[in-house]
Amino acid sequence: MVERLVIDPVTRIEGHLKIEVEINNGVVTDAWSSGTLFRGIETILQGREPDEAWLITQRLCGVCTYIHGVTSVRSVEDAVNVTVPENARHIRNLLTGGLFVHDHPVHFYHLSALDWVDIVSALSADVSATESLANSLSPNAPAIDFAATQQSLQNFVDSGKLGPFAGGYWGHSAYTLSPEENLLFAAHYLLALRQQVKAGRMHAIFGGKNPHVQSLRVGGVTCQNEINSTRINEFRSLLNEMRDFIDTVYLPDVQHLASAYPEWGAIGGFKNYLAFGEFQMSNTDQGDLFLPAGVIMDKNINQVSDVMLGEINEHVRHSWYAGSTARYPQNGETVPNYTGYDTTDRYSWLKAPRYQGEPMEVGPLARVLVAYGMGHSAFVNAVDSFLAKAGLGIEAMHSTMGRSAARAIETKVIADEMGYWLDQLQPGASARVSVSLPSQASGIGLNEAPRGALGHWISIENQKIGNYQMVVPSTWNLGPRCGSGLRGPVEEALIGTPVANPEQPVEILRIVHSYDPCLACAVHVTDNDQDTHYTVKLG
Amino acid sequence: MIKVMQNKNNILVLGVGNILLHDEGIGVHVVRDLEEHYSFSEQVTLLDGGTLGMRLLNAIGQADYMIVADTLCSGKAPGTVSRLTGSELKGRVAAKNSQHQVSFLETIAYADFLGMLPETVMIGCEPKDLSAWGTELSLEVAEARPLMLEKVLEEIRLAGGEVRPLADA
Repeated sequence: MVERLVIDPVTRIEGHLKIEVEINNGVVTDAWSSGTLFRGIETILQGREPDEAWLITQRLCGVCTYIHGVTSVRSVEDAVNVTVPENARHIRNLLTGGLFVHDHPVHFYHLSALDWVDIVSALSADVSATESLANSLSPNAPAIDFAATQQSLQNFVDSGKLGPFAGGYWGHSAYTLSPEENLLFAAHYLLALRQQVKAGRMHAIFGGKNPHVQSLRVGGVTCQNEINSTRINEFRSLLNEMRDFIDTVYLPDVQHLASAYPEWGAIGGFKNYLAFGEFQMSNTDQGDLFLPAGVIMDKNINQVSDVMLGEINEHVRHSWYAGSTARYPQNGETVPNYTGYDTTDRYSWLKAPRYQGEPMEVGPLARVLVAYGMGHSAFVNAVDSFLAKAGLGIEAMHSTMGRSAARAIETKVIADEMGYWLDQLQPGASARVSVSLPSQASGIGLNEAPRGALGHWISIENQKIGNYQMVVPSTWNLGPRCGSGLRGPVEEALIGTPVANPEQPVEILRIVHSYDPCLACAVHVTDNDQDTHYTVKLG
Repeated sequence: MIKVMQNKNNILVLGVGNILLHDEGIGVHVVRDLEEHYSFSEQVTLLDGGTLGMRLLNAIGQADYMIVADTLCSGKAPGTVSRLTGSELKGRVAAKNSQHQVSFLETIAYADFLGMLPETVMIGCEPKDLSAWGTELSLEVAEARPLMLEKVLEEIRLAGGEVRPLADA
């Protein structure tokens, strides 16, 4: 029997996403991913000052805060060919790293864990058995009063107002953890929620505030006065707290989940990976990146190719934009043309980026596999160690679970490295150079946001922004079919997924959430009904 | 004479709402009015919380008393100003009142769950117009704005904060 299933909106993501699948005898046989909101930032930027672009683009998203800002300033710095001072390079690396260290644990615990952890089951856990489990998994983790956690969960449930836990598919057959494992993860969910506040605070030390930092400028950063021993120690102290959390709570939890759901090391995978690379390690060599750039095709981890930007085209054939021409971003156009949701024709506000005509997955898994394939020792050790502890082989990385694993692995490797970047800050040295803008120029700013490869293409005409095009991670991962009819990564990854109960498609959510979708937030749509379902009226 | 009910060390005066949705932004407008026309003793912090939702956990967690200015949909006449205590507020978590309130009330629920919620009082104004797009307040809510301001100032004084009018320009 063939049936269609629509999940709209997908929750526990950032932004507005609709997923439609075709299910044939309990297995997904086709899928369509639809971005349901148009922002128009690229249009807003036209005619504005190039050195103010970062203020506007940063507002694309308060989750991936800062990252668009730094990509914007980089695009202008590329256009005018200016190199920022060392202090600025280190500050920007610390801010980018701080973003990863905040966002990845939040994604694991608050945006994806409840696809695997049954909160209601935690209520029947044996507390001392939970303590033994916690001790065996991670003896150095912070002590937790599991009885108190269980009681406060019980109070929450008894109040009848499940709040953030409402609408979950509790009791679904796909949840296979024991009540004790569920209680442990529930307690860590709350711990992580308290902890992420501190990561945000850390970011604000050099950012000025979080979300949406104030300290970026074309030519450097404005936080020169904060580069002093007091602030550096404050940052280091919060960083070390985060590192403890990563080592004793986050990473062991992801390892345990991977070993508890081994079949998910073979579901929801993709095959092509793209990373622009991040964390500039040199003021003279732009290619010297802590996270290397690279391309992997058809899961060939041992054959990492260089990234050739000219091979990127954005397709619009199945998206709500005029025409069908695929364009290189520098020549990109944003001409919205809504024609109605039609899975046989146009069905998304996202364009479909392709590299050499192929759909590419970006994000933690892409970065980790590129680094692994290039023999980056920190990553080789971290990946091999993870797989050994989880009892899985390298093949298992190309999967839903592989994405969570990569996310945790890169968080650890980056957090461990950030202390060295802090050490290189020089109080008193310059953090900014002045820049004069040309009347005509073009530039590219590349980055790795936590969710994946990010690029801004700017053209400056008569000293103002002429054209501005952004290709963001979720466009790569969650975009629709292209002119050749090739599915986007999430659409392809969904094929073959078993769905035990179409009324409770938790298996589909596991895969979609594993991409950490971030489609840029804007207006929320509410319904007067207090139901779990919403009707969205378009137009 | 105002009788001080308690002396709090860290009073957070938080205005939340989306100013682009007409009356939805009244809480933010009130905090801006406070900033423009008054100065406060050191233990008082004014914060325009906008639509930050969960991002407010840091500020909320550091306060020992919180006064929230916000829209409040309770079926009363537009412009009606009401006062809700923390426990009355928690009872409203299930109901989806307005667009940002979905995340702000959930933020309160989370903060409470995590043991980070201070003693809280909300001064709410019944809205008339929550539509997009514009920053103008409806007549009823514009007329209620000075009353909301007065009520928030009263709460600040009751919590032990000092209020000094700034010389008007």
